[in-house]
Amino acid sequence: MKSKGAFLIARNNAQIDYVKQAVFLAKRVKKYLDIPTTVLTDSVDYLKTTYDETVFDRIIPLDYNPQKNERVYFDGALYQKQATFNNRARCQVYDLTPYDETVLLDTDYIVSNNLLKQCFNSQEDFLIYKESKDIAEVRDEQEFKYISDTGVPFYWATCVYFKKTKTNEIFFNLLQHIEEEWDHYRRVYQITSSLFRNDFAFSIAIHIMNGFTKGDFAQEMPGKMLYTTDKDVLEQLEDDKMMFLVEKKNYLGEYTALCTKGQTIHVMNKFSLNRIIDKELSNG
Amino acid sequence: MDERLSKALDFSNYMVTLNNQKRLLAEKYQENLLVFHNGCQFTATKELINFVKLLLDNHQDDSAVITDDNGIPAIVEDIDSFYNLIIDAYFSASNSYHSEYMKLKNQRNVEKLVDYEK
Repeated sequence: MKSKGAFLIARNNAQIDYVKQAVFLAKRVKKYLDIPTTVLTDSVDYLKTTYDETVFDRIIPLDYNPQKNERVYFDGALYQKQATFNNRARCQVYDLTPYDETVLLDTDYIVSNNLLKQCFNSQEDFLIYKESKDIAEVRDEQEFKYISDTGVPFYWATCVYFKKTKTNEIFFNLLQHIEEEWDHYRRVYQITSSLFRNDFAFSIAIHIMNGFTKGDFAQEMPGKMLYTTDKDVLEQLEDDKMMFLVEKKNYLGEYTALCTKGQTIHVMNKFSLNRIIDKELSNG
Repeated sequence: MDERLSKALDFSNYMVTLNNQKRLLAEKYQENLLVFHNGCQFTATKELINFVKLLLDNHQDDSAVITDDNGIPAIVEDIDSFYNLIIDAYFSASNSYHSEYMKLKNQRNVEKLVDYEK
């Protein structure tokens, strides 16, 4: 019997409590996917003293190593903060995961149905989302189609399924190499920003694994990745139902209400997500 | 503000919200049409249903190769049970789509549109 589980990475910065999101998501993973969750974090003591650690199957400590990878985080269209983007640990997941089959998730991927369970019945060894949809549908989605204007197709590192295979080991080792030589690869792939992004690193690695062309090393995850950007606000969450205020086209700071039910959504506004989690935690 | 414009803007807001909700329902419908069989993903489209029914009608009900949503050829062993699987998924998804769509259509203001399931 092969072991199956979810893997999360939680590295807090001065503005965002990713550990809180990981605790929240682990409960939902158990509820909707019925699999255990392992977390990799550099804040083990904080996790154990502040939250219920029993939601995790395993807690794997990561050395505290703050990065110089700053980015702007929006909280709705009109408010923004700059913070460190501690995102350089993903390539270690292959070695660290205790499971034979792993679903690697971002902590802001709000699982609200059991669709991801289908990954574990797949014949494929590596699944990732390429198809995606902005639920607001008022913005240009080009940046999530290709990694640059003249670049390769964009893949979402937000949600990835992989089996422990020799080929996947090669893939994750390649990811590590790309991460270490990021400045070189981002120039080769014509990415103008120096900010390291896992989505880009995964996209580049998939392109290389496919022999520098289109190929089927990576297959699609079940369904489609639905997302809201950090210019939208998560206003309410109750079980599998979420209410968003999504940016209104050409009216900066104005929003349209939008409701989802039973749909897993990538909620990029981490501030509003944390406010909702606080409410949930205070309600027990 | 001119009352005529104010009413038009209210209606405009309502329409934007209604269209957003309709779009999300359509996405959910597509997701509900997905069927997983032997590790492959199929969408229970009218085309797939017709093709599988054609196989059955032509007495090719043992096994057949059918390409899945990702273009991967899959051997479907028992065509009859596969047919039942996709037709169930189609009707279950379509019925749910229809009932949610009708509920949505009957909401006459923005508040009810985003709260229609309660």
